[in-house]
Amino acid sequence: MTPTRHENCRLAEALEKLRRDEARLETPPHIEAAVLAAWDRAHAETTGPRRVWRNLAAAAAAVTIAIGLTQLGRQLERLTRPAVQQAANSRTLLLVGEPILQGEPVRMVRMRVPASTLTSLGVRPMAGTPGEHIDVDVIVGEDGVARAIRVGR
Amino acid sequence: MRDVPRATAGDPTDSDLMRRTAAGDRDAFTALYKRHHAMVYRFARLMTGSNSAAEDIVQEVFLVVMRDAGRYDPARAALASYLYGVARHQTRRRLARDRQFVAFDEECADATAHVTEDDVNATLERRQALLRLRRAILSLPRRYREVIVVCDLQDVTYNDAAVALGCAVGTIRSRLHRARNLLTQKMGCATSSEEGHRRLNMRCAV
Repeated sequence: MTPTRHENCRLAEALEKLRRDEARLETPPHIEAAVLAAWDRAHAETTGPRRVWRNLAAAAAAVTIAIGLTQLGRQLERLTRPAVQQAANSRTLLLVGEPILQGEPVRMVRMRVPASTLTSLGVRPMAGTPGEHIDVDVIVGEDGVARAIRVGR
Repeated sequence: MRDVPRATAGDPTDSDLMRRTAAGDRDAFTALYKRHHAMVYRFARLMTGSNSAAEDIVQEVFLVVMRDAGRYDPARAALASYLYGVARHQTRRRLARDRQFVAFDEECADATAHVTEDDVNATLERRQALLRLRRAILSLPRRYREVIVVCDLQDVTYNDAAVALGCAVGTIRSRLHRARNLLTQKMGCATSSEEGHRRLNMRCAV
């Protein structure tokens, strides 16, 4: 059924009244507050000076902890690493008696000793079983007392 | 679009505000809200018939703006059309969630009317007429309700409405024609029903 011209006019008039009535409406103020609070929440987590300072503090703390852990690890490693291994790897002297004085004449004697001998000296054999023999260089002072032992690789 | 406050010469454009919003400018976002919130609120209120649903939809729409401001392309649509599109989507979700039209709030009927003794009859009659019209609009199928709300009650041009509602201008025209016919029929039925009801009451009173 097609509306008459009169009905159309009445509808247009009614719609215009409703439009004017609606035009008076505003969103309640608490909605604006809620929307802006959502904005603040969303942006507080990604930007803002407080967030920057918090990130910097966290980064500084992380660096400090990392450095501390690294140093602690090195100290622990130094304390627990077997002396023989140190000597073997670097072929440095393992001091076992009085230190060698500057200018003191010494002799070096190459010996083949059981690995257990090194164990008795407090040095863990670097390889093999305790029954095996290991070549070592013994530095002996003029008094015949060993000053140092150099353990081969 | 009569309801959207126009930017004056010194004011930033909607595109500027959206760009600044995308960059995290709170003042720009606030300005956008102040410029467009009423339009979104009225659209949502007319579509759902509920103040509380309209308030929720306004919040949802501006949360979308806050999140996706960087994706807005001013070359594709005016901001008002974009906002209508978002509001329409949020309204659909809300109505789908509620599964039925929300009962028209009593406060929604005329929230700001102040009745004096002199014009009490005229005011009540006017309120009744508006309430009848609102109910008739709410009872329209959604696609017809949208065009009535957007084109007849918010003064959006057919072109902008086509962009906002995602259809051709010709579709807007035909839907609007059909919607007005339906509305006229419903208003006629409502009026005759009320008159019949009034006659019945008179008979009862006698």
